[in-house]
Amino acid sequence: MNLDKRTLPKCFFQHAVTINNMAEDTKENAESLLADIQKKVTDAFDIFDHESNKTVDVREVGTIIRSLGCCPSEAELHDMLSEIEEEEPTGYIRFEKFLPMMTHVLMERRYKPCPEDHLLRAFQVLDQGAKGFLTQEELVKYMTEEGESFTQEEMEEMLSAAVDPEKNQVLYKEYCSLMLPEEA
Amino acid sequence: MGCGTSKSGMKQSEKSMKAALLIQKWYRRYQARLEARRRCTWNIFQSIEYSGEQNQLKLYNFFDDMLTHLQMNPESNQQSNVASNMLSISTRPHENGSNSNAEEELLKNTDPSRVKVNAMYKGAKLTAPMTSEQLTWLIEAYRNKELLHAKYVLFVLHETRRMLKRRPNISYVSTAITKQITVCGDLHGKLDDLFIIFHKNGLPSPDNPYIFNGDFVDRGWQSVEVTILLFCCSLVYPNDVFLNRGNHEDHVMNLRYGFVKEIMSKYKEHATKIVRLFEDVFSWLPLATIIDNKILVAHGGVSDTTDLDYLKTIDRHRFLSCLRPPVDRTLAQMGGCREDDEEDDDADLHSINSQDRNDLCAWRQVLDLLWSDPKNQKGCTPNTFRGGGTYFGPDVTEAVLQKHRLDLLIRSHECKQDGYEYTHNDKVLTVFSASNYYEMGSNRGAYVKLGTDLKPHIVQYMATKDSANRKLTIQQRISLNETSALSTLRTMLISYQLDLCRHFKNIDQTNEGKITVAEWCAGVEEVLQLELPWRTLRHKLVKCDEDGMIEYASAFDQFKIMHKFSEQDSASGITETLYRNKDSLETIFRIIDKDNSGVITNDEFEEACSLLSKHIGLQIPKEQARDLAKCIDINKDGQIDFNEFLEAFRLVDPHGKDLTVSHNQQNGSSGEIT
Repeated sequence: MNLDKRTLPKCFFQHAVTINNMAEDTKENAESLLADIQKKVTDAFDIFDHESNKTVDVREVGTIIRSLGCCPSEAELHDMLSEIEEEEPTGYIRFEKFLPMMTHVLMERRYKPCPEDHLLRAFQVLDQGAKGFLTQEELVKYMTEEGESFTQEEMEEMLSAAVDPEKNQVLYKEYCSLMLPEEA
Repeated sequence: MGCGTSKSGMKQSEKSMKAALLIQKWYRRYQARLEARRRCTWNIFQSIEYSGEQNQLKLYNFFDDMLTHLQMNPESNQQSNVASNMLSISTRPHENGSNSNAEEELLKNTDPSRVKVNAMYKGAKLTAPMTSEQLTWLIEAYRNKELLHAKYVLFVLHETRRMLKRRPNISYVSTAITKQITVCGDLHGKLDDLFIIFHKNGLPSPDNPYIFNGDFVDRGWQSVEVTILLFCCSLVYPNDVFLNRGNHEDHVMNLRYGFVKEIMSKYKEHATKIVRLFEDVFSWLPLATIIDNKILVAHGGVSDTTDLDYLKTIDRHRFLSCLRPPVDRTLAQMGGCREDDEEDDDADLHSINSQDRNDLCAWRQVLDLLWSDPKNQKGCTPNTFRGGGTYFGPDVTEAVLQKHRLDLLIRSHECKQDGYEYTHNDKVLTVFSASNYYEMGSNRGAYVKLGTDLKPHIVQYMATKDSANRKLTIQQRISLNETSALSTLRTMLISYQLDLCRHFKNIDQTNEGKITVAEWCAGVEEVLQLELPWRTLRHKLVKCDEDGMIEYASAFDQFKIMHKFSEQDSASGITETLYRNKDSLETIFRIIDKDNSGVITNDEFEEACSLLSKHIGLQIPKEQARDLAKCIDINKDGQIDFNEFLEAFRLVDPHGKDLTVSHNQQNGSSGEIT
């Protein structure tokens, strides 16, 4: 999983070729795919680069990575961060370090979210009585006690959208569709 | 982990752990996407806001250059009207005492006792001395949306002026007795927010002191009410309510950002007096407040030259508008000296050179205090984003605090999502008290409560008009904001149609109407002069074909900008140019319209167009301007109602269906084009 930085450029290229071979495309297009991904990464980074000086707050890097469609766990995110942080952490991440790492991740299609039906199935696992819904208490219990627990803030935000306040229920099938990205 | 090896044999606990992890991962990605959209929306609003501020400064500098030019070549004085009006705005008051004539005249012209109150008036009546009882009446009247009579507005302004004149540039406050104090940031004419603060935190009183950190006016439509209420609080409790000047307590800003317009529409024939007096009172507002010798409260921030001891000694009233340097701007840039301006005809001619230098120095200090923003990088650089003040780094904060033996800087000036933000290792606290600043739900407002330990305690709130808005989920709120920001952007694209098309056609050699994404992004950024994530936004602004090429004309094919009084559509150029520079044009109109009547002559209209064309460096053909003036002047009396003119721009679809362009996008989803 670990990335050898010296071989990075070559590695992009190989991947670009693999992807494009399938589409029977030319080398030129492989480069344009790479360029496209790099621009996407640049744009996502710039949205969080408040002072337009090619740095972002380290606490916001997770949001950038996830906003680019990746679905890493907190632990995986931590690994990614330690890879791009300065030797003496400054609290900021520089674009020149972020770009190659993120481009690589996207070219390799790492941390791709699992298919949508898995999300629904995950809720069904938690819904042990197969009621078709979770109670607010059940959801809070699982989300704050299992896996990579939610902070109180995250929990409150999730509840505000997920829970039907009158019935005190989470109709997870509906909620799943809400969480799907709006556009491809 | 358990003994289950096959998937089906997995223990339930392990299964639910994995399921929870999966949901958490999905949820965090979902949240991140929302957050990115929210930031993007925020960037759009902020970029547009700051580019407007920058524009206003440029326009002002343009006038300044013109004035200087006129003073040096009096015979070329053809723009008599604008020039003389500009002079009256920019003539700075001289040192105390030497301008007693001007002061006397101002006081005489705005004397409240000369304003008659109709017997029908049932609203609040105020008399000296102001009491807490009168304050309660006034609040009640404002709650009931009553308009305070012009007589009492003038009365409050006179009283406030007298009080403020006696105050030092920097107020010193102690919490020794009260054990607490509250600091509020920008209110921008949002009376609802001020009421929320008073409701949650109590009215000002000797036990409940307040500091209001500037920007009471502009943008919101109850700026008069907010300011009069704050002034009254300060009159009733002069030792417990402290007001700092903000960058919007400045007549030149008020010309563009709505305060002058608001006064005109509320006070009609008394508007001119009220505007003049507000302008003067603003220049008497103290510049900063220091709490317990530990906390500096100022509107914008500091710079590497900020010297509070020096600031204590300056004559703050000289800076009627902080946008105008006290000396010739070329001189200001060189930092040198020259003969004083002609306009200083009755000035004491003593020690002009050192006087100029002092003025310049004082002006910079004030500008930095009122206009600066903190940045995370070290050093101090000019604030190019806004066009005035500085960006100051954590090292600058540290140095200024240390030099004055202070612990914390509380400033406002920037809208923040949560209403507050800590920066510079918690040495700088931004507090912004106008909620829903960009759009319904765009941000919360906040105030800061300090106890005897001087530890800031933040209180946040959001003013909501109806309960429906309160129920919105975060996603719905973000979508609402996004829609509004995008619609503003689309309108902007349309208003730059000619320039954009010219630009794109140059690139589009094959004439297929298609260019690459990179070309489109670079083009839009260059023409609109807005740095935004255009690549991300493109799907919502233009059509892209299956190869990812941009069909650039698609941004314009839905709507055109029209002017109700003119047959010409945007293809003729002038409508587009005028629309795009509507805000600058409005400023120019208001300068010309010295008596605040809202009416100018045809000739003045043409003059305004020609000034605008010089300012933006674009041709506006004289004949076209004249034709337009004739079209607008429907009853042919040679007079133009410029408010009506400015509001008559329309976005029109190909079928001639009318879509009103809302003047600013602050009132929710009005003017939406989807």
